[in-house]
Amino acid sequence: MRRPATGVLPWVACFGLFGLLPLLAALVLSFQAYNPLRPDLVRWIGLENYGRALASPSFWHALRTTAIFVAGTLPVTLTLAYLVAGLLSRIRRAEGFFRAAIFFPATLSMVVISLVFKSLYAEEGLLNAWLAAAGLGRVHWLQDPALALPSIMLMDIWASAGYYAILILAGRKTLPREQLDAARLEGLSAWTVERRIVLPHLKPVLLFVVLLNTIRSFQIFIEVFVLTRGGPLESTLTLVYHLYERAFYHFEMGYASALAYLLLALVGIVLLIQRRLLGRSAAGNPA
Amino acid sequence: MSRAARAWPYAALSVVALVSLVPLLYMARVSLSPGGDLPVAPADWFGRPFSLEHYRDLWGGGPMARFTVNSLVVTCVAVPIQILLAAAAGHALARSRFLGKGLLLALATAFLVLPRQVTLIPLYLLMSWLGLLDTYAALILPHLADPFGVLFMAHYYQTMPAELEEAARTDGLTGRAIFWRILLPLSGPGIAVVGVNGFLTTWNAFLHPLVLTTSESMRTLPVGLALFAQSEFSVDWGALLAGSTVATLPVVVAFAFFQRQIVEGVLQGSGR
Repeated sequence: MRRPATGVLPWVACFGLFGLLPLLAALVLSFQAYNPLRPDLVRWIGLENYGRALASPSFWHALRTTAIFVAGTLPVTLTLAYLVAGLLSRIRRAEGFFRAAIFFPATLSMVVISLVFKSLYAEEGLLNAWLAAAGLGRVHWLQDPALALPSIMLMDIWASAGYYAILILAGRKTLPREQLDAARLEGLSAWTVERRIVLPHLKPVLLFVVLLNTIRSFQIFIEVFVLTRGGPLESTLTLVYHLYERAFYHFEMGYASALAYLLLALVGIVLLIQRRLLGRSAAGNPA
Repeated sequence: MSRAARAWPYAALSVVALVSLVPLLYMARVSLSPGGDLPVAPADWFGRPFSLEHYRDLWGGGPMARFTVNSLVVTCVAVPIQILLAAAAGHALARSRFLGKGLLLALATAFLVLPRQVTLIPLYLLMSWLGLLDTYAALILPHLADPFGVLFMAHYYQTMPAELEEAARTDGLTGRAIFWRILLPLSGPGIAVVGVNGFLTTWNAFLHPLVLTTSESMRTLPVGLALFAQSEFSVDWGALLAGSTVATLPVVVAFAFFQRQIVEGVLQGSGR
């Protein structure tokens, strides 16, 4: 049917002005030396910002931090989420309560989560008190360069395992019932059923979780801002924190925009891999 | 199944639920204790007196009250507008054909997965150029571009039969009257999903509000709390965790009433 589509216009105006325009402007900025405090020095420098980023130890360090973060959190988060989803699908009573209790942290502000963990990780905090009660020494959770990143990773696992458990649980709800019943009648063990039927069925969801976790790890900022400000000794310097410092402490907005586009490119690569692995149909749709 | 086989999933889940909730209960407990230090001994958890002093201090003229008001203003203005924009645009996308519709849908979908940090610097420069830095407008406007609600409502209207609207049209109602009097009242379930997810993203927003405000009086609650925590030398944990509890309470309420809609949003890729 043909109707005037004026209803779409107010949102298109907002989307264009505060979505698409900034997206393109960032690309243009990334080819410039742009310091808003020194408009007289603004000039076009082509790909220089990108060259500088790719030659910068900080950029590679931030990527390495991200890689450690993904390698450390993903297996744990995924395993936990898988187990919890399996448990939730097994119980009859009080499923709603447990699901709510486990999912709730995912709806919280990351600032609140970071502040709570800052108190838990404090020198005089709860975790050190427990260690002392167990006769162990104090741990400098956020001050020790070797421990700061793992401490943030632990918090991330706490904050996101429930979220992914809910995604996996939604996948479990669509398991082929008859096939499962038939397998059980044949006398296959629970383990065999899990491996032969459940896991293949959940493969798209699990891949989705893997990629979502990877993409989110590229964007970590709040945790670092609240807990460590990139330190100690840059051990928690992430790409977005680096970008933020460049743009809003040093006002190198052209260079920071190039960093933003490199981030975009990295996320794009991850999404392309997702397309490859999942095929078009399942991409972007976890359930 | 034996009794033990039936019981162990409950036992395991109880442990998980405990780990998931204890840090939050701890936050609430510290906020309700007198003094600024951290109670760490189990005896403190139960034995310490309860006190509302941190909450009284929050409202007693400190900046935290202002942060809370700012967050409320931004959320209460942004979310209803988001809902209206999403319903209007979603309906148009579901029912009409127009030039560039395919492109618009593709761009909106791409924006769902786009790292939002990419728009940060240009938005800062745009707001600065418009003279809107450090205003409510700067805090609200970027949220109106969010494509999730539009895509969700477009999908919602596709699954809703068009007969009612057609009947109203033959009865001579204008497009505007149909939107306000028929479409919106019928869109409750969809609006609930868009609204509660919009609430969570707006209420919890951090990076953009951090950059787009410069004076303390314009900080939102998450930004104010994060900056407050950075006065490293003597952290007043009681005050800090009282502020965190205040930031959490509306989320608890939203979760209590709209858990199903939040999960629906997650499954449809709200990015939360």
